[in-house]
Amino acid sequence: MTKLRRRALLGAIGAATAAAAFPMPVIAADRSIRHYWWGNPERDKRTFAVIDTFQKKNPGIEVSGETIGWGDYWTKMATQTAGRNMADLVQMDYRFLFEYVHRGALKPLDEFAGKNLMIADFDQGPLDGGKVDGKLYALNIGSNSQVMVHNTRAFQEASVDVDLINWTWDDFSKACEAITSKSGGKMKGSDDLSLMIEAFEAWVRQNGREFYGPDGKVTATAKDVSGWWQFWADLRKADVVRDKNKTVILDPPIAESGVPVGDTAMSHFWSNQLVGIQAVSKDKIGAAMIPHKPGGKPGQFIKPSMFLSLTRDAKDTETAIAYMNAWVNDPEITSILGLERGIPCSPKVRAALAPKLTEVEKLSVDYFDAIQSKVGPLPLPAPKGAGEVRDAFMRTGTDVVLGKMEVAEAAGMFIQDAQDIVDRAQ
Amino acid sequence: MKRFFARNAPAYVFLLPWLVGFFLLALGPILASLYLSFTRYDMVSDPRWIGLGNYEYMFTRDRRFWKALDVTFTYVVLAVPARLIVALGVAMLLDRGLRTIGLYRAIFYLPSLLGASIAIAILWRQLFAEDGVVNQVLALVGIQGAAWITDPDTSLYTLVILAMWQFGSPMLIFLAGLRGIPRDLYEAAEIDGTPRWRQFTRITLPLLAPVIFFNLVLQTIEAFKTFSSAFIISNGTGAPADSLLFYTVYLFNEAFKFFRMGYASALAWVLLVIIAIFTAIAFFTSKYWVHYENERD
Repeated sequence: MTKLRRRALLGAIGAATAAAAFPMPVIAADRSIRHYWWGNPERDKRTFAVIDTFQKKNPGIEVSGETIGWGDYWTKMATQTAGRNMADLVQMDYRFLFEYVHRGALKPLDEFAGKNLMIADFDQGPLDGGKVDGKLYALNIGSNSQVMVHNTRAFQEASVDVDLINWTWDDFSKACEAITSKSGGKMKGSDDLSLMIEAFEAWVRQNGREFYGPDGKVTATAKDVSGWWQFWADLRKADVVRDKNKTVILDPPIAESGVPVGDTAMSHFWSNQLVGIQAVSKDKIGAAMIPHKPGGKPGQFIKPSMFLSLTRDAKDTETAIAYMNAWVNDPEITSILGLERGIPCSPKVRAALAPKLTEVEKLSVDYFDAIQSKVGPLPLPAPKGAGEVRDAFMRTGTDVVLGKMEVAEAAGMFIQDAQDIVDRAQ
Repeated sequence: MKRFFARNAPAYVFLLPWLVGFFLLALGPILASLYLSFTRYDMVSDPRWIGLGNYEYMFTRDRRFWKALDVTFTYVVLAVPARLIVALGVAMLLDRGLRTIGLYRAIFYLPSLLGASIAIAILWRQLFAEDGVVNQVLALVGIQGAAWITDPDTSLYTLVILAMWQFGSPMLIFLAGLRGIPRDLYEAAEIDGTPRWRQFTRITLPLLAPVIFFNLVLQTIEAFKTFSSAFIISNGTGAPADSLLFYTVYLFNEAFKFFRMGYASALAWVLLVIIAIFTAIAFFTSKYWVHYENERD
């Protein structure tokens, strides 16, 4: 017993001496922040490089990065929110922004603007996408839109020659047939988008409606839903889309989508993902719009895709804002980020990036320019419960894809469920 | 009184860490969840009292609640007997006085130690994937495998098989029970020329009944609480089409994905009641089929 005590005492004295001899800053960074984002290998590589650069430029600040795939991102975020342990800065999505603001999980950024967050010369449109009730809760770090990524080699071989910006759903079906028959069934025309609510929302807009009305009511109709599911059911019957067992895997990593794997010639993505998809695809990829309806309204819109938000749990807001500011302004950092998260809304940053674009980055800029006149206005932010509606869409859609439920019945059920979910969430 | 403290104080001092843990980390949250189950609580704003609202919604309007019960009960009914039968079978194989028994015991116990881990669930997902090992083996013998995990008709069975494979802990308990059966009973049966099967039904099973009962109760509770494997294999959502919507997975989603802590607390209490009822049924019926050796009747 005495021996033990003496040793403990010696240890304590030793530690105290050491602490007195070496002043603190050498041992630990005195300010630290956490940054949490959803990513893919390419994005993670770039983001950690940004963190390194920022730390080098700002000695004494330690940034720890936490990354995870989209599928698990919101679950982990919700858990951290519940535990009052959110990262200081989180990547935010337009779909979830309202929900988190209304739960009081985010802090507004207005008081920093112009002081230590230099965003005065940014494009107003994309910037406004981060506003809720007139206050800026989320800083745009890239805009994007939906895109049908396609395998250019497969398109060439099947001699599909169609204007991929202005094409229709009918053109799309024909392309699927041509590609499937050309490859002898080895490569199907497209991924089956039955469960992809984002693409379905474009379909609803083409029908002249929004998915959610201004009062948070579900304005999409059962007919919209059954039209969508029937369209894909017909393609499944023709056997020109990906196998149903792959379709029902929810939110797979991008590398497991049809185009990167080589199962299909078309997959649905967001335009900022082009860089990441090209990195895991063998063939050269191209970008097409979601097909249109003849005489229909524009379905796609320019989405402020990713945001950086300051959370309620951020202690050292000054450091967090300094980091945020560097993200959108520092030339070295913005050049590391490139267009991987979407098109930046700072004209200066865009101009600096332009001469150094890689081939696929150029593809995404060209695509972005080409669709500008073909897109509709930004819809209102989704109401509370939208995340759960997305789950319900995938759940009911799975039953349809696997042939366990009739299209019309499932569509009616989904619309009813969606309204119930939104009502209950308020 | 004074003497009591003088005598027992050291014991309580040593118990202190556990007591603190129990009251602070277990009993406190349990009582809090009982209160929360009568509220609407999104974890950010304060809980709001809504009386029996959560329970009413659950039983009258929540389709997914019934679906979760359906999935969980099906699992319990299939997985518990399956695991117990495998466990008893293996225990009887090992109960033959092998010299290397220690080694085998350890090897067979291993899956149970690993079973709860995330890694096994991920491995399971890959084994039963469409291009996974299971289908590759089936292809060798000319059988076209299914998409076990992504087909709602078969996904639950992959988890039942996983449960069967984790027979280790009931197996060890069975083994101990088998060791406790007096050998002379078997010797007497041998001399009388009793066939093996009758020895099993007339000697082994009756004398093992208390152990079977113990395992049954424990495994049933365990099965109702299945979470991590279902969570991982269903991508956390109960997919495909809610076929893996285990009660606990549903509860987790309500709490941590949709921020309905009050509702999730109510779900937790209902699960507690369900488990209590099943345990009670097991205890009440046990007097008809469980006999203890030291009972004299």
